[in-house]
Amino acid sequence: MRLLRSNLSREEVLPRMRDLVEVLYAEIPSGVGSKGKLRLTRQDEERLLRKGARWAVEEGYGDAEDLERTESGGAIEGADPSLISDRAFERGRAQQGTLGSGNHFLEIQYVAEIYDEAAAAAMGLFPGQMTVMIHTGSRGFGHQVCTDYIEVMERAARRYGISLPDKELACAPINSPEAQDYLAAMKAAANYAWANRQCIMHWTREALMKVLRTSPKELGLTLVYDVAHNIAKIEEHAVNGRKQRLVVHRKGATRAFPPGHPELPGFYRDLGQPVLIPGDMGRASFVLVGTEQAMEETFGSTCHGAGRVMSRHQAIKKAKGRAIWREMEDAGILVRSAGKRTLAEEMSEAYKDISNVVDVVHRAGISKKVAKLRPMGVVKG
Amino acid sequence: MDRGFEILDISGDVGLRIRAADLEELFEYGAIGLYSLITPLNGVKAVETAEIEVEGEGLEGLFVGWLNELIFRFDTYGFIGREVEVESVSDRMVAARVGGEEFDPERHERGLLLKAATYHDLKIEKDDGGWTAVVIFDI
Repeated sequence: MRLLRSNLSREEVLPRMRDLVEVLYAEIPSGVGSKGKLRLTRQDEERLLRKGARWAVEEGYGDAEDLERTESGGAIEGADPSLISDRAFERGRAQQGTLGSGNHFLEIQYVAEIYDEAAAAAMGLFPGQMTVMIHTGSRGFGHQVCTDYIEVMERAARRYGISLPDKELACAPINSPEAQDYLAAMKAAANYAWANRQCIMHWTREALMKVLRTSPKELGLTLVYDVAHNIAKIEEHAVNGRKQRLVVHRKGATRAFPPGHPELPGFYRDLGQPVLIPGDMGRASFVLVGTEQAMEETFGSTCHGAGRVMSRHQAIKKAKGRAIWREMEDAGILVRSAGKRTLAEEMSEAYKDISNVVDVVHRAGISKKVAKLRPMGVVKG
Repeated sequence: MDRGFEILDISGDVGLRIRAADLEELFEYGAIGLYSLITPLNGVKAVETAEIEVEGEGLEGLFVGWLNELIFRFDTYGFIGREVEVESVSDRMVAARVGGEEFDPERHERGLLLKAATYHDLKIEKDDGGWTAVVIFDI
């Protein structure tokens, strides 16, 4: 999950929105069966897996400053390409720099409401400002790593005498060779995802400059933060008053570190970690900030999205005979999607209202609301 | 349910229930069901044939491995199948010929992007009338 801020206001961008959405859709490959623009060799891919977003910046996709604003500097140490199957290498080769499908998206948004002025200012956010949100991950590469290691873990679980209620929960003790191998492979997948979002951010910058005819300085499109949404990380937490190293699995959750946490970059150390929570494509997304209470109660974690109220199939039935893109356009949101089925599945009504979800975590104190972002233009896979 | 497949409605993901006379047919309908989630099959032509062999452990491992092989070939090479002929299913291997073509976003309607076939709530059962399988895909 990645949020970009700009120097531009909603009013400055609105007249060019149609072109902007078209160019972004054309420049950033998305959807089922799409291929990326990058042509990677095996050696390129190995470097990318070790270096994550750093690889992208070295290749000219973005600035060093972007890395400071990315969780773990855009690359987790310890990724080991030798533990990645040839199949994962192959599957990942043409998918770097692609958005994907399903709930992945690229949105042009504006800051609709600010709840915490000081925090918003520290993140470079102001009312009415244009922002860009990018939601994508490790693509087919990560899925193949998962598929490969489920087979490994399934055998490992039997070997270590772990009985499972569901075979998909395949696992192994963290200190076992199988688990250590998986961790090194998962880190490679996380790095793939950071590189992916970095490349997409770069092309977004280029597209905005082209369509809005601005200089990089006028545009000021810089990173607020980039944080993983599904990952396991080894962290220190207090358990019954004692500090312990734990493996924190955040699935359907995202990190929300408090002010003062040593893993935060200097400029966010006093503030706490920016938390990025996307809603559905018709309503809103939110920026929050991590809290000490999250450290105490939820291992420094909070919710990561709205969650569905309708299955995909139900949503498609509900959308039958309707033009979802037209409904969105009437509501002031331009949308471009590779698949018309995706739009039906992803329509607003298929999701819970993100405002309610975010209010719950805000009141629970595990992250605090900073700003509400509303979509103006949406690119879907 | 007659022989064939039906799509199962699961919040966030999607599944297939497959009914077949024998194991070979179970694997065939599984593959056809999978492909039909990706794109409507009436738009797909069988212009090339892929010979596919998949090894696996046990029937469940073999079935999930087979479906994941087809997902891999689609996601990596864009190969979308339409005609599936499973030649044999043994304890450790499935051998098949799949007729299909390269996915073309200009011609083929885009359906679901399947990440993987999973073991979650997986069922493969034999009764007097034949075989039934239930499989859930990660989306």
